[in-house]
Amino acid sequence: MWILPLLGLLAGAFIGSTLTYEVPPTYIKYMSIAVLASLDSVLGGVRALLENDFDSTVLLSGFFTNALLAALLAYLGDRLGVDLYLAAVFVFGVRLFQNLANIRHGLLSQLRNNKQEK
Amino acid sequence: MSRKWLLPITIMCFIAGFFLTFQLKVMAGISTVNPISERNTNLITIINDLEEEIKNQEELIGETRDNLDKLQEEQIKGRLQELQDSLKTAKILAGLTPVAGKGIVITVDDNTEGLKANPDDDPNKYIIHYSQLLNIVSELKVGGAEAISINGQRLITTSEIRCVGNLILINTTRIAPPFEISAIGSPRLLAEIVTASELAIMKLSNYPVDLKEVEELIIPAYKGDLQFKYAQTKGEN
Repeated sequence: MWILPLLGLLAGAFIGSTLTYEVPPTYIKYMSIAVLASLDSVLGGVRALLENDFDSTVLLSGFFTNALLAALLAYLGDRLGVDLYLAAVFVFGVRLFQNLANIRHGLLSQLRNNKQEK
Repeated sequence: MSRKWLLPITIMCFIAGFFLTFQLKVMAGISTVNPISERNTNLITIINDLEEEIKNQEELIGETRDNLDKLQEEQIKGRLQELQDSLKTAKILAGLTPVAGKGIVITVDDNTEGLKANPDDDPNKYIIHYSQLLNIVSELKVGGAEAISINGQRLITTSEIRCVGNLILINTTRIAPPFEISAIGSPRLLAEIVTASELAIMKLSNYPVDLKEVEELIIPAYKGDLQFKYAQTKGEN
């Protein structure tokens, strides 16, 4: 059952690598925020799964609002001359680690439960 | 457990994979495009174009000089003979005609062996500098050299020997080692005066140096333009 998401990841990676589109240098930081936001959403979704409170609407809307807010912040930062997008990068980075830690905890407790059941 | 989660996670994975590789690709593309190297390539093209143009112009000058020679040949009968002779000597003096005769050929090269042996050392100690060529040329002149050329570039009154980075400019032409300095004159005298000073110093520093005495040496004509805008002839008072 984990095959489908993996296939999705590979398909996305394939399309991303074949697409040849010149990104203007000013938009590169927006792209980096999008990368972090999507990674954060994937890990957040997996974590929610393991904690049994998964909701697809929350996941997708979370991704888009987070990405949008981060982009807005980056744009505002550009206007103001402050690297505000770093705040988004920081938040996403912290959340990545937190989600990863939660996933690890969830997986470990699952593993222990299985052993006890046997 | 229901499978409702499968599709959203797949979509998210797809988006994440897409952005990840796309960004990777964009960043890889950026690191290869260096504005400085781009500028350098532009400059190199400009230099190459200009050198091509110089070559064409030199050919044009050569053709025109040939034509002039022919016209002068035609008029050679009669009283012009004396003037023609003096013109010929003037041309030899100016370096506008190829000349042949006895002389020596000196070949000097960068001390690549030495640099390989001491890679941490200052490479400046192992390459030929324009000043060394200038010294050799000066000594050849002292030794009575009547015509000198370096790598086929005839040295005339306006010829420069100039350092341009890792190359040497002679007659606005880029010259790279090994340098072959040909000089027409008394072989024995030239060899003696050159080996006594600059070549001896270079030999001590382990530069590959070679000196040959040649019976029949041909030194090409100066190919460039030769015009005097400011200097005017003045009668000898």
